[in-house]
Formats: sequence, C-alpha cells, structure tokens
Amino acid sequence: MSTPTTSPAEVAARPGAHRAGDEARTDGASARARRERRAAYLFMAPNLIGLTVFVAIPMLLSIVLAFFRVDGFGGYDFVGFANFERMFSDPYFLSSLGRTLLYLVVLVPGLFVSGLGLALLVRHKFPLVGFFRTALFAPNVVSLVVVALIWQFLLTDDVGFIARLLDRVGLTAPSWLGDPAFALPTVMVITIWFSMGYYMLIFLAGLQDIPREYYEVASIDGAGPWTTFRNITWPLLKPTSFFILLTSTIAVMTGGLDLLVILTGGGPANSTTLVIYYVYQQAFVYGEFGYAAAISSFLVLILLAWSALLFALTKGGRFTHAQ
Amino acid sequence: MPSDTAALPRPATRPPVAPGRRTSWRRRKSSTLFVVVGVITILTVFPLVWMVTSSFKGPDEVLSTDLLPSAPTVDNFEYVFSAAPFGRYLFNSFVVSATVTVVALFFHSMAAYALARLRFPGRDAIFLGIFSTLLVTAPVVLVPLFLVVHRLGLLNSYAGLILPAIFSAYGIFLLRQFYLAIPAELEEAAVLDGCGYWRIYWSIILPLSKSIFAALAVLFFLANWNAFLWPLVATTDSDLQVVQLGIASFQEQNTADWQYVLAAATVAAVPTLLAFAIFQRRIVESIKTSGLK
Amino acid sequence: MPSPPGHLPGLPPGPTSVERPSRRRFLGLSAALTGAVALPGLLSACGGSRTASASDPLQFWNFYAPAPNEDPVVMARAAWMQDTVDRWNAENEQQIELVYAPVLGSEKLATAFSAGEGPDIFLISPGDIARYLNGNVLAELTPYMTQEAVDDFFADNMATRMIGDKVYALPMEIEPLALYYSRPAFEQAGLSEGDLPATWDDLIAVSDRLVAAGQGGLVFPTAQDYYQNFVWYPWMWQGGGEVVTDGGRRSGFDSDGAVGALRLWKETVDLGLTPRVPPASNDIVTSFSEGYASIWQSGIWSIQDFERKAPDFDYGVIPLPVPDGGESATVLGGWAFAANAMGRNPDEAARFCAWALGSMDDDGIARVANWCIDAKRDVSPRRSSLEYGSRAGGYDGEHMRLFRDEIFPTGRGEPRYPPVIYKAVSDAIQSCQLAGGDPEDQAATAAQAIDAYLTTYEGVDLA
Repeated sequence: MSTPTTSPAEVAARPGAHRAGDEARTDGASARARRERRAAYLFMAPNLIGLTVFVAIPMLLSIVLAFFRVDGFGGYDFVGFANFERMFSDPYFLSSLGRTLLYLVVLVPGLFVSGLGLALLVRHKFPLVGFFRTALFAPNVVSLVVVALIWQFLLTDDVGFIARLLDRVGLTAPSWLGDPAFALPTVMVITIWFSMGYYMLIFLAGLQDIPREYYEVASIDGAGPWTTFRNITWPLLKPTSFFILLTSTIAVMTGGLDLLVILTGGGPANSTTLVIYYVYQQAFVYGEFGYAAAISSFLVLILLAWSALLFALTKGGRFTHAQ
Repeated sequence: MPSDTAALPRPATRPPVAPGRRTSWRRRKSSTLFVVVGVITILTVFPLVWMVTSSFKGPDEVLSTDLLPSAPTVDNFEYVFSAAPFGRYLFNSFVVSATVTVVALFFHSMAAYALARLRFPGRDAIFLGIFSTLLVTAPVVLVPLFLVVHRLGLLNSYAGLILPAIFSAYGIFLLRQFYLAIPAELEEAAVLDGCGYWRIYWSIILPLSKSIFAALAVLFFLANWNAFLWPLVATTDSDLQVVQLGIASFQEQNTADWQYVLAAATVAAVPTLLAFAIFQRRIVESIKTSGLK
Repeated sequence: MPSPPGHLPGLPPGPTSVERPSRRRFLGLSAALTGAVALPGLLSACGGSRTASASDPLQFWNFYAPAPNEDPVVMARAAWMQDTVDRWNAENEQQIELVYAPVLGSEKLATAFSAGEGPDIFLISPGDIARYLNGNVLAELTPYMTQEAVDDFFADNMATRMIGDKVYALPMEIEPLALYYSRPAFEQAGLSEGDLPATWDDLIAVSDRLVAAGQGGLVFPTAQDYYQNFVWYPWMWQGGGEVVTDGGRRSGFDSDGAVGALRLWKETVDLGLTPRVPPASNDIVTSFSEGYASIWQSGIWSIQDFERKAPDFDYGVIPLPVPDGGESATVLGGWAFAANAMGRNPDEAARFCAWALGSMDDDGIARVANWCIDAKRDVSPRRSSLEYGSRAGGYDGEHMRLFRDEIFPTGRGEPRYPPVIYKAVSDAIQSCQLAGGDPEDQAATAAQAIDAYLTTYEGVDLA
C-alpha cells in the first residue's frame, strides 16, 4: 500500500507506528502499561458481559445442539457426530451449498461495487443530494414482507409491470420467480436493490473518515479523479472495505432469510434453497434443531476460516505493522 | 437546475484556485452528478412508489397491477390507527429501538476504543472472540437464546426485547475499524497533558465519532425497528407488540388485508427515513481533520 | 435429484424410542450455563417469567383472539373464541387465557416447544400433526368425551387426529377444496354454464378457450410448501394414487394415479394455462375481479373472501373435474384444538378442548355450528352441528349448499405425513410442474424415497 503523492496519508494509515519509541522507556512505562491494561478491560467490560450472556452462550449452546438429536418438543438425545455425517451424504444440503457459493460470488462483489459506487457519487455536494441519499437508502427501511409483496407485484407473470414494459418493446418476459432458471438471479437483484443503500451508508461514513486535506493537496497537485481514488480514497478506505467485505459475506451467507421465506419459499423446485434457508427449514418446518445446528456450525467454521484468512492478510484489519 | 450557491463549496474549504475556471468545472460536474444520481434514484425508488400508491387503494384493487388507485382513499391509514393499537406498536418499537441505539453506541464505542487504541495482552484474541460472535445464524441460535432469556426471567418484558439486541459485535467491529484510522497525534497530545483514558475517550474519540455514530445510529435504529423474529418469539403480551408484529397481524390466514399491511408499512417506514434524512447530512458533512494543520 | 436407495439423505431417520432418560440433558446443560451468569436477584426482578404455578391461567395460542384489529370478520372470529373461553372460565376453576400468535410465525410455536415451554392449548393443522403425535406431546382427549360425541365427528375427517380409537385433537371446521370460476370471464370467452368442465380434458379445453379469448387462466398453487401438496392430493386420489398404502408399509406413489396428477399439473403450465406464480400475490378475489385468472382451485374459505372484498362479484363453484374412469375426490382441510401433554395442567387443557368442541349438549352443538356458519364459512366437523347449522340457514346459499351436498361427501381428511414424505412428494410436484421433470421418473424417485423411509419409520399410522 503506497501513497506516493501524499505523505500525510502514509502517516494516518499507520496508526500505532508512533509508539515504536515507547518500548525504550522502562520506568514509568510499566506502570503506564498496567493502567492502560486496566482501562482497556474496563472499557470492554459491559460488552464482554453482555456478549457472553446474550450471544456467546446461546451460540455455544447451538454448537452443542449439533451433537444432539432433537425432537422439537424438549427431547434431546446425544448422538455424537451423526448429524455431521448425515450432512455430507445429504444431496439437499450439498446442492444448497453449491447454490450458496454462486450467490456469494455474485452478491459480495455486487454489493461492494454498488455500495461504493453510490457512496462515491453522493458524497459530493449537488442540488437535492440529501434527498437522493435518503431515497437511495429508502428500500432498506421497508419491511421484507412488503419488499416481497412489492416485487411479486412488479414481477407478476404476463400482467406485471415489468412484463408489460418488456412487452411494449417486443420482448417476452420470463417467469421471474416461477422458473427455476430465473428465480435465484431475481432474488440476487432484489437483494442488491434493497441492500445497496445500506452499504452506501457505511462507505459514506468511511469516506468521511478520510481527512479532507488529502484531497485538497491532491487537487492542488492537479491529480485527476482516478489518480485521487487510487492514491487516496482506496488506500484510506481499506479498513472500511475490509469491514464491508467481511460483514457482507457473513450477511449473504447467514441473512436474507425473511426474503426467501416470503418470496420464494426455497422454490421453485428448490432453486432458491440456500444453505440458510435449508437450516431454517430443518429447524422450524421439520423441527430438526440438531441437524440445523450441525449445518450452521459448519457455516460458522467456513466463515471463521475465511475471516481468519482475511485477518491474516490484513494484519488484523489494521493494514499496518502494528505491534 | 443547480443553483450557483448550492454548487459551491463552503468558503472555508474552497481551494485557492482561479475562481472562474473552477466554478464552471464544478457546475458541469455538479449537473452531471445530478443527472446520473437522479436516474439511479428514480429506478431505485420506483418499486416503493407502488407501496405508497397502493396504500391509498381499496381492498378490492390493492393487489391489482395498476399503479394508481381508481378511487384514492385514506381509509386504510385511519383504520390502521383507529382499529388496531398501531400507536402502541409504534411507541413500543420506538422505546426499544431508541434505547438499544443509544446504549449500544455508547458501549460499542467504548469497546472499540480499547480494541483500536489501547494495548493490552490478548487484544487480538479478544477481538477475534468478539468478531466470531458475528457468525451466529439466527434460526439456530433462537432456541438457545430463548432458553437464556427465559432463564433470566426476561421473557415478556421490555428488558427481554432490549438487552439481547444491545450486544452485537457489528458496531464494535465497525467502530474499531474507524478508530484505527484516527491520527495518533491527537491522542499523544492529550496523554502529554496528563489526561486519563476516559478523558481521551470522552473528549477526543467521541467528538471524532460523530459521522460514524450518525451512520451507526441509523443502522441500529433500523435493525431494531424492523426486528420481527425475536419480538415474535420473546413476547406474548399484546401490550409489548412491536410494529412489525402489528403489520404481520394484518396478514391473517386466508384473509390477508394487504391494503392495511401497505398502509402500516408506509407509516412504519417514515421514522427510519426521517432519521436517515436528518443524519445523512451529518454522516457526510462533519469534517474530520488529520490534526496536522 | 437421485438419492441412494436405502438411505434418505437430508431427512431425519424415523422417530426413536418413546422414553428417553436423557430427555432433558440439554435443557439441564443450558440451565446450568445460564444459571452461572444469571445474577438471579438482580435480573429476575425485571420481568415476569412464563413458568408459573399451576393456578395461573393456561395459555391458548391461536391466531384469532384477542382480535388484532377491528375488521368485522376478524372481530366475529375473535368473539367466538373469547365467548368460548369466557364460558369455560365462568364454570371452571382452572382459568384459560387467549394469546394471539400470528400463523405467519410458526417459529414462535416451534421455539417454545423446543425449549419445553410450549403453550397449554394451541391450534394444529393435519399437515403438521404427525410430528406432534410422534413426539408424544398431544394430550389424549378421549377420556373427556362421550363415545356419542366421538361418533358425532365425521370419521374420515377425524381419522388424522386419532391413533387407534384415541382422539388427540378435535377439528373445529372442515374446509373442502373445489374449483372457483369467474362468470364474467366465462361470458366474455363465449362459454356458458353448459361448458363447465367435468373431466380433466374439459378442464384443459375450457382453460385453453379462456386464455385464447384473452381471459385469465387456471390457477393451481405453485409455491413449494405444505399447502401445495395439500391441494394436489385430490387429483392423485381421483385416479387411485396413494402416497402411502398397504397399511403404511409401502408407497403407492409410483402409480398411474400419481403420474396422471403430476402430468395434469405439468401440462397446464406447459400449455401456458396456469401461471408459474399465482397473480395478485395469490389473492383469488383480486385476480378474478381484475381478470388475471378465470378458474382457481381453492377452499370453501374463499366464499367469505368474496363476501368481504367483492360481495357483488359473480363467481361459481364446481367440484374438481375427474380423469377418465376416475372417481370424484377432494381433500378436507381445517384446524383443530390440541392440548399440550407437557403443559402445566394437561388434564384441564384436554378437558377444555373436549368441552369446547365435543360437548353433546345444545350449547356445544351450537358452538361448533356457529363457528362454521357465522364466524367462518365452513362445513361443520360434526353431524349434529351440521344439521343445526343447516336448520339455522347457514347452508342456504348456492355455494355453501354445493359444498355441503356435493363436494364435502367426496372428501378425505388432509393426510398426516412426516416431513420426509412431505418433501418427497413436494419435490415430485415441483419438478414436474415447474422444472421440466418427467412425471413417471419423478413418481418413481419419490416412491423410492418414501419406501426407504417407511422401512425404518416407527410412529403413527400413515395410511
């Protein structure tokens, strides 16, 4: 990561670098380190307690659950690895995994590019920009029940708005949600439609985190938009991009359930049965919480490996050689 | 058309460049942006137009593919507020969402500050531990969470709706990423002045967090405002029902009243949109300095 | 989707033994884990827990009352529920409280039951009942009913709620399926009452004429769920097909009846007569009044939908057409009252269910009748109540009479199949209807999957 034109960027992009000299001082340093440590634990305490009780313990329990056969009525039988064994000979699960991979490969870059693109456009000042930002975010605030209904209306076979529109220009619209070949791509488009404003918002905040002087310096240096983006925006946006890349991967893999449940029910012919939907179905339709927990533990493992890789590549999301 | 004043940057940040050339270039850029963003916005918002226009339709045509109502009526809105305790639902959702948002911003930023700016043993391990709680899958964790909250005696209470929603690694992670980028010089100066860590957090970190707080406030509020599954599972008391459950109750078996669903959804969308409209300016305009000037 | 014979992947093995010593081990573990952090005095003071003493009112989770809004129909249903419970509460020490739980959220019921905190009384549909029966969570209602009362229920409709001669849930209504058609659409396509389809061939020909004349088509459900299977079964039964046959030992799915029904649903989509997604978000009233559909397979409940939303719309109802050489058949839906055997007071909960729907006194008979003619538009699940409802004029209307006299007698109760069997059938229907699957192959695949499951299945009778 190099920022050849602007030296301040280098400094800012390396937080913690200034502390290199601290290690040398020994006397007050150890007392200070103790104080710093105590402060850190106090700052984290409320969260650590709350996260443990309301997130970590339920999560651990759900992993424990993966080793049980659950009847859905309070009956739990320990079955060892049976649920995991069943997973890998389950064609429904394996095909849903393949589908999810495709979904991931399209959506994560799709959300990243659309979110960043919108943020770069609306970060500027121009007439009505506040209105545009709000409007672009608007799909996000509507409940997914209604999102599903809206798109059912727009995509209705033959008489729907989009079918009529295509008809006017001489094209025949497919059955967007009723044809197994089109259903998943349609769900992807709808997901990008209502999520892009969300990622736009986070990118906007991330762009705001970049000190304005850098752009002023670049502008005085006569740098064009692309050079400015490459040399200032992109490097300084890395912590945000890292955040978005990770959280959108997680969201795409473990979220979006409401839309699938209401809009497609995993169909037609299982074509939109993503892993998360399959987990939901096992848990709430079939009452197979143990099997659902095994699949979701597997998801946690994959995501953990993926996150660990990203963390390793980016020095813990710091992008610097922090100590 | 863009007006000159709106298109101009604020005087304080106007770069020292020949004013005439600069202005025309800015105007061109500004109108190009206006057109491009305008078109994207229209495409994005269009599907929502149907939601809004259909909420003014009668029950017999609410699901027709016609965009405009043949006989517009505000009956649906009147009904939503008079026949269902929708005001109560809005109040409950507001209490839960606002409380969670304020408390979560505070707690999360504290943890994020420690994780980003302080050094202590096990920092990366703790961060990874916190991060890994992001990987929960809702359908599977629901039953264990229910057991925990039940055990704590918090089912059917505001506390049961609020407490589990406060704690999430999401805000901690995002804030940490932002605090990582804060120039160290600002803190250094405070340390030299003999400020304690709380003082640094309170008077340096928090003021610098305005834009990201604004963004996160919108996201937290939205997430809780639209929460459905947890309130559904954790409450049976009708006085604790939240907006999304209220909307769902218009979708009774066999007799979905979509005109009410749409009217209720339109009403329910207003607070978050309003919050966004108010905060968006702050998200983009609170100018951060590098501290080097 | 091929699956290795003998093993049915993705789906649970048959239910295991009835008694489990380790039954509560997981719940115990969770209690220990949470107990450690529960700062009891501080936190438990904040809210009321549902685990309460036996003297607290029993909870009755339902999707009718307390009414979530003031629509007259919703109010009428809620009033019936409330009256029933009030009446019970006035006469009994064990009080009962109604809790509104939207049907949309079956997660609520599933979560509560998994946590061992299921409601004391709840509504259940036959599509889901096998799991509950095999989980031994339904309290037996027979001890609180007279034999006369048991016999008063239509036996065939009641069968799915029974094991042997023991009753585990009592139906509150019977909802048979039929074809609804739009008279304006028929007129505009130049069709008359004489053209109404009596056979599958007629059905295709008439739908074809409607679509060719620019009218809406024939709607079958296309979403992949329990409801689609439910709606599809009668088409299979008409040609003699069965999902499970031979006393529950093998599948009868690889049969002409099933293949024929799969082919019918496939053809109507392939010919462009049936939309791949039902128009107007699956709403029959809007679809008919806007001309998006002309024929629609639906239940008796649609009568009330038309009354509410388009009372002047002119529609007709006919029994489901039959294949050549086939026999008329339809399926009977409807929900039932059930009591949780692991609830706080299962005896009283069961007694309530039996009293509410199975009392032989005049009030009891009238209560069930009124639910089916005043609050809703259904066929009564009891002979005596159906007679009472008929005398009260509930079946005088053209459509109600047709449902009672011609459609209901050809009906079979909605079958109860465990998730594995449901899924095998659902895959076959989905594949043929929407994904170009071959009916014969799909029927064979499903039959194989069902057979494999039945070899290890232990639980309630499925045939």
